[in-house]
Amino acid sequence: MRFRSPALARLSSPKTLAAALALAVGVALALLVPRPARAFGDSGGFDPRVLLTGNQTGPARATAPGRWSWELIQRTSAPARLHPTVVRADDPAIVDAPFLYWSGDADVAPLTSAEIAGLRRFFSLGGVLLVDDAGAGDRGEKSPFGIGARREIARVLPDGTPIVLGTDHVLFRTFYLLRRAEGRVEGPPSLDAIVRGGQAQVLFSEHDLGGALARSPAGVWEHPVVPGGDIQREHAVRLAVNIAMYVLCSNYKDDQVHAPFLMRRRALSFP
Amino acid sequence: MTLSTHLGPSGDMPAWAVALAVALAIASFAMLLVEMRRRERGGTAIAVTGLLAVAALLAAVLRPARVSARESVVGARVVVLADTSRSMALKQRGGARWEARDRAVQMLAKAHPDARLAVLGFGQGAATPLGISAPEPDEEQRTTRATESDLGTAVRALAASPQERPAAVVVVSDGRLDDPPEDASDASLHALGDALHVPIDAVATTRDAPADASVRRVSAAGAAVAHVPLPLRVEVGCAGGLACDELTVTARELRDDGPPAVLASGVAHLKDGKAALDMTITLERAGSRIVEVSIKAPPGDTIPENDRRLVTFAVARERVRVLHVAGHPTNDVRALRQWLKSDASIDVVAFFILRTPMNDVRATQNELALIPFPVDELFTEHLPSFDAIVLQDFDAQPYGLEKYLPNVERYVRGGGGLVMVGGTNSFVAGGYAGTPLADVLPVELDGSPGGTAADTSPFVPQWTPEGRVAPLLAPLRDVVGDELPEMPGANVLGDVRPGGVALWTHPTRTTRSGAKMPVLAVGEEGDGRTIALGIDGAWKLEFSQLGAHTAGRGHAALWDGLLGWLMRDPRFEPAQIEVVGGCTAGLPVTLRARMLPSHGAPGGGPETVSLDVTRIDAPEKPIHVERPLPPEASSVDLPLPALAAGGYTARLRLAGGATTRHDFACEVGGDEWADSRPDPPRLQALARATGGSFAFADDAGTLPLPKPTVVNAERHVTPLAPPWAWSLAAAVLLGVHWVARRRSGLS
Repeated sequence: MRFRSPALARLSSPKTLAAALALAVGVALALLVPRPARAFGDSGGFDPRVLLTGNQTGPARATAPGRWSWELIQRTSAPARLHPTVVRADDPAIVDAPFLYWSGDADVAPLTSAEIAGLRRFFSLGGVLLVDDAGAGDRGEKSPFGIGARREIARVLPDGTPIVLGTDHVLFRTFYLLRRAEGRVEGPPSLDAIVRGGQAQVLFSEHDLGGALARSPAGVWEHPVVPGGDIQREHAVRLAVNIAMYVLCSNYKDDQVHAPFLMRRRALSFP
Repeated sequence: MTLSTHLGPSGDMPAWAVALAVALAIASFAMLLVEMRRRERGGTAIAVTGLLAVAALLAAVLRPARVSARESVVGARVVVLADTSRSMALKQRGGARWEARDRAVQMLAKAHPDARLAVLGFGQGAATPLGISAPEPDEEQRTTRATESDLGTAVRALAASPQERPAAVVVVSDGRLDDPPEDASDASLHALGDALHVPIDAVATTRDAPADASVRRVSAAGAAVAHVPLPLRVEVGCAGGLACDELTVTARELRDDGPPAVLASGVAHLKDGKAALDMTITLERAGSRIVEVSIKAPPGDTIPENDRRLVTFAVARERVRVLHVAGHPTNDVRALRQWLKSDASIDVVAFFILRTPMNDVRATQNELALIPFPVDELFTEHLPSFDAIVLQDFDAQPYGLEKYLPNVERYVRGGGGLVMVGGTNSFVAGGYAGTPLADVLPVELDGSPGGTAADTSPFVPQWTPEGRVAPLLAPLRDVVGDELPEMPGANVLGDVRPGGVALWTHPTRTTRSGAKMPVLAVGEEGDGRTIALGIDGAWKLEFSQLGAHTAGRGHAALWDGLLGWLMRDPRFEPAQIEVVGGCTAGLPVTLRARMLPSHGAPGGGPETVSLDVTRIDAPEKPIHVERPLPPEASSVDLPLPALAAGGYTARLRLAGGATTRHDFACEVGGDEWADSRPDPPRLQALARATGGSFAFADDAGTLPLPKPTVVNAERHVTPLAPPWAWSLAAAVLLGVHWVARRRSGLS
């Protein structure tokens, strides 16, 4: 007399065996089919690199860069670094990628000559810097960081004067059609930028964009968004996505082929 | 040489003195005769003695001498300019035109045996000696191969020659000349004669036009530019009694990827045997392109060879139209787009996939700045309008590109350019293995189960020997030298396919054959070119420590070379090919390859140049030629056997693997047969304007040529008597005359 456990008996039934065989074949085929590599290209994805100057030890909103990448990956096809890198202005590695994110709420120490030289090298290659004023007032009043950052950028790019980027600029339609700029605070409807060679190389935000993006590991938004709440936060995330797309695609949405579509949609979205 | 003797005055007297003395003597005798008319006595004695005295006095002054000399007769130098253009090979009653030409020259020589005939052949440039005195088996080929009938240049070169100036020039031709042209004025014809300061005689070889309908001339208004309509004027004609009121004209582009493509057609209505038809054609591909312009000739046409003309256009690009399709927005996409947009000569049509079905955009369609990817339109009707397609990290399957891959393959074989740039969705990972597109890539793609799509370990690409000398990478090497940035990974590529060349390889990975895995490879398929760049880190030539040291110029230099090579920019071709003296069907051809100064064999070793010539418009066995190229040589001639009339593609391959291509056409008669009518009136006008004579070939012997010149040699002068004897005789005879006069009562 042979004893078989019920489970074993179930496994040895013809139906189960056939299913198991099919599963095994499926797994085997899945293993044999050429697989796209996952990491290949990560370094070429969007990296909201945190720029540190003077005695800064980190960004004003520590979790914001990672969340920015996460949102970008969720919403778009763009690859991004979920663990963004940090670079100091005087580090030779400042030229290793085309984007820098500089945020703070306190005054900025005057840049050293090495920091100025590093930033100039970065800009000479066509890099883009977002200056995000984390201490901006509810109406977009500049904090000591916002004032100091503009002062120091003027030393780096003495020939560059910030201009207003209205909503007709391509940055407001690189992915989402945006009607204004928004962050943790509503701030001004536009962004300021230093445009060089037709490209906005320095973007100034008085909206604390990082504040709207910052989210704790527990999944809690770190800062309330005023005055618009969740809708404003969504708009802030969309602006962040658009900025990333502007970095990766530059003025792609200015191409003639997009014009009729976007004009029609703008008419529908913003009657 | 002959000996001659005659009397003459003393050699020390000038001619005027002799004439004066003779005149005085005649005057003296005349006066004597006048005097005698009044005398009745002793007149005869006075006259005789007076005549003798005057003669003796004249002899005393002239002192006669015997002059003996050896003489030779030198015939006048007559230059015969015989037409050696292709039109002389046209048949006519009694043989060919060249046979009539040779007979006319022989008749001239026979009719003027004293003349020194120098028979020169004219066609292109200065006339050269033409040996037609002893006919040889290859005489027709040898003496009828010039593709022009440039008499003007031949005459001017003759005038500038340091050789003995001719006493006469005889032109033997059918009169269908390029210079002087058909509508040349008498003044310009006269000026041609003035260049030589001698009359130009003319002999016409041909009287009647053959029964022939032909494409006489094809002219384009301006240079050919890809994608830009090009106006063509086609002149057609009928002659020799052929009845044709209208002719259908068709323009087709000869293509090696399929049958000729009809570009335009129309009907020409003939008046007075000729017509001009304006057509507009559009050539989509740059480079040398062959357009066939043909007519449907009526029955009775005796020269079918000129019913079609093959015109080679050097099609330039005003702007390069590039379709840039990217599967993801990445730093590499950013860098390439910025470079494409920075070049004003490039028109970019870009489509980037910004959202996949997996993404959650959290917005309505109207809140998005996204438009549908028009894959159907792009890869069907618009495909031919692009000069190059860049597929960057783009997966064919999700976007419906798979069904259009045969179109892309045809596009490449038809002359388009294709670049596949690496990434997680390129090459094998993009589902391209085993597709028609894979057949035109320069590398094999292994799509078999178990195959690996990518290697994600960082590496630095290695230059291959071919990459080091490839002109397309010369701009990059000028910027970065041997150094390349570290790449985050590579697409796994197979062996380089036949005709392809690897320029960069992976340092550790190998292909199935054991060769190093290509990372950057280029190749040619049909009429087009393709590039496989199995990395997505080229942007690091801009943003990296190397990029900072080189001001980021490496990325632009790389793409400048890649796109330039794809577009056959002469800067990036390893050599330039030219057909020496044009190609005439049925005659041997020579192609000359001029190497770039920077070109060298990989490793600096001896180099071999190989040439493959294939027929475009008909199946024919390809011709393969190989020649060694010494290191110092900048060009090499590659002789080919005689080719049939048609279009050909010459592909030159250097030992370094780099290839270049040149399309050319061979015609039986070319321009020279386009208008087969002879033009005796033009020869008559030339002869008349320069003071020469005209005759048809049958009467060539009647042409008057300059008489020969007599030349004296070894001249000896011997006095008949010493000077004192002549003086004494004169004195005595004067005395006798004086006595006679006295006796007659004269003083």
